[in-house]
Amino acid sequence: MLKYVLKRILYSILILFFVMFIIYVLMYNMPMGYIETKARELASRPGATKSYAEWLADLNAQYGMDKGVVLGYLTWLKSALVGNWGDSWAWTIPVTEEFHNTVWFSFILGFVSFIFEIIIAIPLGITAAKKQYSFTDYFTTVVSMVCISMPTFFIATILKYVFSVKLGWFDLSGMQGRDYMKLSEFGKFLDVAKHFVLPSITIIIISIGGLMRYTRTNMLEVLNADYIRTARAKGVPEKKVINYHAFRNTLIPLVTTLGGSLPGLFSGALITETLFSIRGIGYASYTSMTQADIPFIMFYLAFISILTLLGNLISDLLYAVVDPRVRLS
Amino acid sequence: MATYDLNEELKRREAALAAKKAEEGQESGEKEVALDDVSRVKVLSPGRQVFKRFIRNRLAVFGSILLISMFVFSFLGPLFYPYGQKQIFYTYDKQNVNYALAKQNTAFNGYDIADEVTAERPVVNSMNSNIKKMIAEGLDTLLVLGENGGYRIRRYGEDVYILSSGEAVPVCSTGSGTVVVGTYSQITKSIEYQAAAVEGLDEAAQENISGKSGSFTYNGVEYSFTRGAAKSYEITSELSGVSYTGKVMDKGFEQVLEDAVGNSASFEYDGADYLINRQGQRYDVYEIIADKDEKIYTCYTLDTRESGQKVSNEFRVAALLASGEDGKFSYEGKNYTIAGEEGVLEIYDADGSAYAEFTPFAVRRYTGEDTMEYNLKKAISAKIEEMQENGVKSGILVHELPQQNEDGSYTRNEDGSLVYNETEMKITQRDTGEYVINCDQINYIIDMFSSPSSKHILGTDGDGFDVMARIMYGGRISLMVGFVVVFLELFIGVIMGGLAGFYGGWVDMLIMRLVDIFYCLPSMPIMIILGAMMDAMRMDTYIRLMIMMAALGIMGWAGVARLVRGQILSLREQEFMVAAEATGIRVKDRIFRHLVPNVMPQLIVTATMGMGGVILTESTLSFLGLGVKHPLATWGTIINSVSSASAMAHYAHIWIPVGLLICVTVIAFNFVGDGLRDAYDPKSKG
Repeated sequence: MLKYVLKRILYSILILFFVMFIIYVLMYNMPMGYIETKARELASRPGATKSYAEWLADLNAQYGMDKGVVLGYLTWLKSALVGNWGDSWAWTIPVTEEFHNTVWFSFILGFVSFIFEIIIAIPLGITAAKKQYSFTDYFTTVVSMVCISMPTFFIATILKYVFSVKLGWFDLSGMQGRDYMKLSEFGKFLDVAKHFVLPSITIIIISIGGLMRYTRTNMLEVLNADYIRTARAKGVPEKKVINYHAFRNTLIPLVTTLGGSLPGLFSGALITETLFSIRGIGYASYTSMTQADIPFIMFYLAFISILTLLGNLISDLLYAVVDPRVRLS
Repeated sequence: MATYDLNEELKRREAALAAKKAEEGQESGEKEVALDDVSRVKVLSPGRQVFKRFIRNRLAVFGSILLISMFVFSFLGPLFYPYGQKQIFYTYDKQNVNYALAKQNTAFNGYDIADEVTAERPVVNSMNSNIKKMIAEGLDTLLVLGENGGYRIRRYGEDVYILSSGEAVPVCSTGSGTVVVGTYSQITKSIEYQAAAVEGLDEAAQENISGKSGSFTYNGVEYSFTRGAAKSYEITSELSGVSYTGKVMDKGFEQVLEDAVGNSASFEYDGADYLINRQGQRYDVYEIIADKDEKIYTCYTLDTRESGQKVSNEFRVAALLASGEDGKFSYEGKNYTIAGEEGVLEIYDADGSAYAEFTPFAVRRYTGEDTMEYNLKKAISAKIEEMQENGVKSGILVHELPQQNEDGSYTRNEDGSLVYNETEMKITQRDTGEYVINCDQINYIIDMFSSPSSKHILGTDGDGFDVMARIMYGGRISLMVGFVVVFLELFIGVIMGGLAGFYGGWVDMLIMRLVDIFYCLPSMPIMIILGAMMDAMRMDTYIRLMIMMAALGIMGWAGVARLVRGQILSLREQEFMVAAEATGIRVKDRIFRHLVPNVMPQLIVTATMGMGGVILTESTLSFLGLGVKHPLATWGTIINSVSSASAMAHYAHIWIPVGLLICVTVIAFNFVGDGLRDAYDPKSKG
């Protein structure tokens, strides 16, 4: 077990190394990036003593961009390994500080949506499987299909249109109302919570369909298994068959996938946060991406790559933990 | 290899049997029915079997119908639809425009009197402020000292001023401070005087000057000297009393000067004008002899009675000059008279009818053209006067304006004269003091955000494009992107997965690590970065489209490769592959003719489902403005064009249909994919 985990971690590190290299190459070749803009700005200042080309060379040297791709990457890697991620160019504060400022909003948004997603999707999926080919089943199938097929921005726009424009219940975007500063501490909390409602609904709608389908499929498979037939044959009450025999076995794949998606709660919802201007890490990174803020993007992409790998690892480990039949090797 | 068709075989057997029976004679009427008779057993080919299972699935059929109609709509629709995706529509519409601008003219415009104006630019440029100063201080003349001479501005009539130029002769200096006496040269041993020469100073200087600097006293005046270049010394002295530069004036002059210094900038003595120029504590006095009239200044603007007449500046000069005299002048052989009336200068021609007038109140078209009619100008100024009296800042004036056609041109009678109709004009005073006249005019404008009509089924968008046409062409690109990307994914994925699965060993190891890397690459952030990059490079929109498709394909092949590899690993061990190897079939053929076709069902299902996913990604990117760019339509860009808060609220008839189209297309792909999977392998997990 320990050996397996170690091997997986070593693999992950190797993968991460190459993933980050690919991303670095991409960022390195980004034209009209931050440095070019900065150099142009500095060169056109009144009383500028250096030309654009000179400033560019100077800034490139300062930011370690003059060493070529491979050496530059290794330099970045070296400082990243000791925890020095540099200062964000777009946010003008250390990358880790911006991360700290934003990640918790993302986590709260993700976590709340995650809980609701589980509460809604799993019972619905199980009900659908229990009554296969019933109206509930078709309804659930169609709803989950629609949810999967809707683009995030369309859901967000519809929600904004209905709840912000037509009904006026929520603000269109942002995290604080206009009277935020006048509110008490608890009022402030409620205000922010209110601004999180529409984004969470968006995330729930996007992710609910997949989980619903997944639950239904696995439950159906379990219900068709021999031991369920046996249980029914020996006269176990249907309630007990479903809740005790079937559901517990359905939990195996559910726990593994849900466990695997836990690290993803920190990665932020790039599109949703951007559309609703929630100052989470997704929004911050989107802004950074459009402004070619290399330190922050490198950090963010490294971060989500690690989360992805971690999610896979957790999911595989959970599989072995939950299902005693599975042995890791 | 010979194909074995069970149906054909059965038919042949049946035919043979019938022939045999016919040969034997028809003694028995009863038919013998065998177990494998065609009438009992119907054997379907695998393809038909899948098809039959597929069409039994209602959702899948529904999805297929949706997809087919979507394809017909986007690929055939534009052929029959009259508009293109980049066609901009215009319309004639009433627009409330800034029609005219009226203001009290306070700036003085100069017209050349002299044929050749020699006045210096700084003097000309400061004329406005000088005239304002004269008005404020109630002066009739103002003397101005220039670099090359002296100038006099004199009031010629009400709000009419004349600038004349001439010489500025230095007369004397007074006050306290240092005066440069002259330059003493040690070579010639004499002083080159700048101020009035002092008798005997040369000798005194010769005696006293040595070293770098110093001072000496001569005749009770203290002189100081400093060494300049080439053995020459600059001699300065402290001022005391009046120090004359040229000719010495009498006591009366000094008396007048003493009164004037510090009180006024100029004075008159003995018929000559003098100007006092203050230099710190010192006052330099110049005599200004200005007798050449250069320019005439006025804040009046000339309005002719007949609109749109061009009047030359010479006419203006002649008229203004005459206004200060008897009022008669002639220009280009015609006689005119000018006379002041109620704050305006009226010009009459030889018949005595009013020809034009100089007025302090200028009414012009907003663009600055002087094409408005005289009576309209008068009406507007009268209204503004009334507003000023009542102290209100805005008012409504109803007056006749040239009538416009539907297409914006002016309506004319048969004899070519303009037709007028009453128009309401709103006059508003701006904070800067000028008055703006607004009224409705018919303009040729881009038909923006028009509501659905018979001409435009879904209306037009913010750029004047027909929404229906955009949706059709957008569907083309969105569907095409889906196909190309999925094809690319399959192409790379099948090759890589096939190689990995077939060879195993280090090839498998290498390819699977590559797959891991690509699996781990965060695709959405990378697409956003790519989009921002292409934005910065201002790439052509078609090239962007290509690059985006390529990037999406490269990012997505890992899943296909994994699937193909897994399938091949299990197929490789099956008997038919052993047989294929035993018969010595080439490796290439074994992979691509025996293994890959067996993976086809899963590939088709993945491809169908993947197409929906790609369309979602593409529309999201285009919505963010980082995918396909503006003039080219995709479903994402159409929604993006109305995504601002106000557009979203008002133009729901544009974005809701498009969003639903995306949704329906993706659902259809998913339904078809699901149906195909069930049809290929009924036992598979849904």
